[in-house]
Amino acid sequence: MIADRIIEQGTLTTEGGRTAVEVRIPWYRALPGSCIAGAALTVDGVAAPEDTLRWTMNNRTFRFEELVDETGEWWFPLDSAVLSGDVPVQDDQAEHEVRVDLKLYIPYIITDHGVLHIEEHDTKTMKVAQR
Amino acid sequence: MTSLGTPIQGVTLYSFTRAFHARQYDLDGLIRKVAAEGFGPGLEVIGFSSLRGFPDRVDDTFVGKFRDLVAEVGLVPTSLAVNVDTGIRRDRLMNHDELVEYMRKQIEVAARLGFPIARVQISLTPDAMESLLPVAEKYGVTLALEVHADQHGAHERVLALRDRYEKLDSPLLGFTADWGATVTGFAPSLLEAYRRRGASEELLRQVVELWNGFYAEGPPNTQKVHGERFGAFIGLAARNGRPDLGIDFGINGTGLFGPAPLDTWLEIMPWVRHVHGKFFGIDENGEEPSVPVRDLVRQLVENGYSGAISSEYEGWHWNNWQDPFEIIRGEQAIQRSAAADAGSAMITDAAEARRILNNHLAQPVRG
Repeated sequence: MIADRIIEQGTLTTEGGRTAVEVRIPWYRALPGSCIAGAALTVDGVAAPEDTLRWTMNNRTFRFEELVDETGEWWFPLDSAVLSGDVPVQDDQAEHEVRVDLKLYIPYIITDHGVLHIEEHDTKTMKVAQR
Repeated sequence: MTSLGTPIQGVTLYSFTRAFHARQYDLDGLIRKVAAEGFGPGLEVIGFSSLRGFPDRVDDTFVGKFRDLVAEVGLVPTSLAVNVDTGIRRDRLMNHDELVEYMRKQIEVAARLGFPIARVQISLTPDAMESLLPVAEKYGVTLALEVHADQHGAHERVLALRDRYEKLDSPLLGFTADWGATVTGFAPSLLEAYRRRGASEELLRQVVELWNGFYAEGPPNTQKVHGERFGAFIGLAARNGRPDLGIDFGINGTGLFGPAPLDTWLEIMPWVRHVHGKFFGIDENGEEPSVPVRDLVRQLVENGYSGAISSEYEGWHWNNWQDPFEIIRGEQAIQRSAAADAGSAMITDAAEARRILNNHLAQPVRG
């Protein structure tokens, strides 16, 4: 698939301890919120606590538990979503290592073990912009 | 004797996933590129890939623009690939009524956009297909269920569908034959991609040997055998110190490269309404090294097939070093050459393609 494009280069921003990065779908077709099963955001080896993570797509912001029932809002292959969480990033001149992990359900592939899920990740290095 | 078929040349935009995803082309630009390159006249689109807001938010303005564009550039809509998202909810699978309505909405968009076929998927049972027949009739859209690795034309699930089609006797129920079911080798371009990820020549030799063994044994006819083969790839990777590659070997080795013999297509040939000319790459001799494109085209021609063949390049998953447009050009040249060798020709003229497709399918789409 297209895991190498999950993180959009140059989109790391931070403000008051909250940090965000734009992410692209590593799959060829749109998926609804209910199939976006989880994510992790790590900057310079520090992971944002799970309960602080938010997912923004189509100008709406969700907690991951809110996405579980969301079958009306879809992540289209050309669109960036924004993953944000509480992780402080200092020094806007330095390069930072950003890692995003994504877990997606593929709703039309039903295996003996349930609906297929895929886990993809991407790591890129970039500077941070203060918002 | 069956008269020789005249398949219609075409392409699915799925072949250009990497370029579209990279925003090198928007939908309009990609359709224009396909037409300008002469990859048509047949045009296949995946609804959930190419159409923003599919299916609920495809409005009449978009429909009008799409139809005008396709007419302007001289393409012929062949199939809208729709998805059977049974697992869209986290708590349970869709129930029967939800499934029918979910599919109805997508089939309606296919009709409005002028696609005479909706490609549906293997998770639809014979009962589900029977329930969808009134939907197909309402919109004048043929439902062509995709037969794709790890299934094949003689798989028990496919034969059960065929038998139900025969009983229902409707020309609106058929199959999309995907050449990924009848592959003859592990794609060399994928081996090259593993090589670039540091896989040793010895490991790659063993991967090829394992796949060739499955090819010799024949296709899996049960889920159990399929699962065992998947596991064998994982075990092989682990034994060679590359467990990180195991699932990838398993997915590709069993899910993309189906080892069924070509004659399995004959079991369902009268119900084949659409074809995915699935392939993975073109070698230095201008041939497809792992999909027997020439034999597949000959088989279709000799069995009187006059529907579309959508060239479906799937090497984009791993091949980021070659131009997909050049690769499609190469495969379509093989198809045309093979049709000529079989005493026929691929149809490349839009008006002729439209006429032949209307004859091939039962009724005009009511969009």
